[in-house]
Amino acid sequence: MSYLLHILIMCCIYLILAQSLNLLVGYTGLLSMAHAAFYGLGAYISALLMVRAGWNFFATIPVAMVGAMILAVIVALPSLRLRGDYFLLATLAFQSIIFYLLYNWISFTRGPYGIAGIPKPEFLGFKITNVPEYFLMSALITGLIFLIVGTLCSSPFGRVLKSIREDEFVVEALGKNTRVFKIQAFMTAGGLAAVAGSLYAAYVAYIDPTSFTFDESVFILSIIIIGGTGNLKGPVVGTLLMLFLPELLRFLRVSDPVAANVRQIIYGALLVVLMRIRPQGILGDYQFD
Amino acid sequence: MLLQFIANGLVEGVVLGMFALGFSIIYNSSRVFNFAQGGIFTVAGYIVYLSWKILNLPIGVGIMLAIIGAIGLGMLLERLIFYPLYRQQSSPAIVILSSLGSYLVIVNLIVLILGNETRVLRSGVEETLKLGGGILTKIQVFGGCTALILSVLTIILLRHTRFGITLRALADNSSLIAVLGLGIQRLRLLSFAWGSMLGGVAGVIAAFDVGIDPHVGGSAVLIGAVATILGGIRVIEAAFFGGVIIGITKNLAAGHISARWESAVTFFILLIVLLLRPQGILGKRGRLEEI
Repeated sequence: MSYLLHILIMCCIYLILAQSLNLLVGYTGLLSMAHAAFYGLGAYISALLMVRAGWNFFATIPVAMVGAMILAVIVALPSLRLRGDYFLLATLAFQSIIFYLLYNWISFTRGPYGIAGIPKPEFLGFKITNVPEYFLMSALITGLIFLIVGTLCSSPFGRVLKSIREDEFVVEALGKNTRVFKIQAFMTAGGLAAVAGSLYAAYVAYIDPTSFTFDESVFILSIIIIGGTGNLKGPVVGTLLMLFLPELLRFLRVSDPVAANVRQIIYGALLVVLMRIRPQGILGDYQFD
Repeated sequence: MLLQFIANGLVEGVVLGMFALGFSIIYNSSRVFNFAQGGIFTVAGYIVYLSWKILNLPIGVGIMLAIIGAIGLGMLLERLIFYPLYRQQSSPAIVILSSLGSYLVIVNLIVLILGNETRVLRSGVEETLKLGGGILTKIQVFGGCTALILSVLTIILLRHTRFGITLRALADNSSLIAVLGLGIQRLRLLSFAWGSMLGGVAGVIAAFDVGIDPHVGGSAVLIGAVATILGGIRVIEAAFFGGVIIGITKNLAAGHISARWESAVTFFILLIVLLLRPQGILGKRGRLEEI
């Protein structure tokens, strides 16, 4: 039972990641490979503030969000001047640079040793210690973020993002500054990804840079590409599929390292096949054009 | 000491340049941003390792098999994945995601069959050559020369043969090529074969020089992509110079800053280029929506 809850907590974390990336990829049409960098930055800001400065977990979340938003602007400004493959490569470069910073700036992040002993979250004297309580907290935060993303997407702001995706020049002609909107989309996506990072750090109590690599970015991107983008349902389907699918391998008594490989092969093959027969993903509204 | 880093950088740079040239030929002729080139690099290295160390075949046979395998794999990917997508007129994003997917499949199949550990082809201490203050191993010299010869040959082919000129025309304007009635399908297939051959040879050299593990192709393909952009877009040969520049910069960084930051250097170079000169050093500016 607690194992199922563990998977559900991970689902919550990935739902936040997928839904926030969906804002960029599905609504604005920007294929970003830097999402794990925002996720990692959020995790590290929360972890460092809790371990080194003794902050309360909930107080670290806004700081993590602001940090990720600042990073989002830094990533967005140069990347948005580019198109297509070049945009993707630029975001990939930022992803790698952030990873190398986390990995090599040992005096600050402890590098490959990671940060251990992250305390349990506390709220008005109530300490969250066991897995069910943690699940409840994650579910509440995830629900809140769904509300935020849902409201955003159906607001005029969301409609502008969608129209940028469909035809940027028309939006420009209507007198909207599309660059500003794209940067705002980046900031929102980055800030929300940082919340997922904070949750993850507090849940696993130990973080190290290897959780926030290029592969992780590819994984988050695969979730929404496979599930489908441009609406709220796609990322949910994608997350559930990609997180529960590997558990089937466990039932088949496949050993862990082999399962990790088979999982990657399944993801890769799913990507290749879907791009061929259903480019918009399982429930997507939007295919890249 | 400085000379030593430059010598190492030159050798690494020429091999990277050859790999990047392969990446660039494919990218320019078919607009496939081919992550799977990293898989081809890795597969070639493993074929040499398997045929030489495990099956005890002569080393020359192993290298031949590796190159044939690389070409075969490249052509297979084009026929099975990329050409059908081109027929469907898929967007660049879809193509890139497919190539990422195929890279994931190739690399993880290798891990599944052969495990994750690094395999070394060298035995013990290498004979070295002193070259004006720098020391290089025989493998480095031999690999560097091979890469240089193949790259120069490729550049000559691209500039002076009918096939090369057609390929450059395809890079410039694919719809015009179709109108002229030249077979795009065949041209693409040949460019995949050729690009994969260069990628495979780079994998073989790297396997002899530093050994091979399943994930080594991933960093190679990123460097290849960066070199292509650094060299300049729409000029296929420029990728080679991009690779040489990255090789030298990486080694100088390893010597003067610290080896820990060596890998990050590539991405710093990329960001600087994208910011200051997105068309690359030798590139030509295209229309806004094409950059």
